[in-house]
Amino acid sequence: MADVTTEGGANGFVGLVLVSHSPSIAEGLAELAAQVAGPSVPIVAIGGAADGSLGTDGGKVLDALRKAAAGQGAVVLMDLGSSVLSVRAAQAELSAEELERLVIADAPLVEGTIAAAVTASTGASPQEIAAAAREARSVNKL
Amino acid sequence: MSTSSEQHATLPDDVALHARPAATFVREASQFGGEIVVAANGKRANAKSILEVLALGATGGTELTLTASGDDATAAVDRLVALVPRLD
Repeated sequence: MADVTTEGGANGFVGLVLVSHSPSIAEGLAELAAQVAGPSVPIVAIGGAADGSLGTDGGKVLDALRKAAAGQGAVVLMDLGSSVLSVRAAQAELSAEELERLVIADAPLVEGTIAAAVTASTGASPQEIAAAAREARSVNKL
Repeated sequence: MSTSSEQHATLPDDVALHARPAATFVREASQFGGEIVVAANGKRANAKSILEVLALGATGGTELTLTASGDDATAAVDRLVALVPRLD
């Protein structure tokens, strides 16, 4: 199960961390976002429990957030329930410097991720990217 | 000095403003500082918001109206009007 689905690291673009109960959802969404937004935005997909079943793995979430914070920063999007709880638990383990470079977006996962990825591909800041993700709560599709 | 600018552009017949072309459009619009509105089918969207642009539901051959305000309004509309017919 690959966690990193697009080129990562020090290319100047803020990244995304996607956390879902399902590895398939996280990875499929990362693939879709990369196709829409292009290859410049680092996207990390975290899905599933430690044994590979549906759920969340707190250790893996913490590792991903720590790595994302070490780069240009990242916006974190989650599906619901224990994904949210595991991100919150991971936040409690991070340093103030790491937390400064991460923004947790309170947004629907799929639409929020697409909005976030496209905004990230413009070179936007984590705060601007998270604001674009939150718009997904109010923009109608029809 | 703030200015405003408005022009029209037509999507290629075979290119709807779906996810990838809309993302290209939004990325271009985001290079400019002022407010940019794209209108089609009686709906208006912030040209820098992928979700609003997708919600226009603009199909191939649709005429878009681009309106911008701010210091770079003219450059923004010129650039987007040139881009729209070339989207793929």
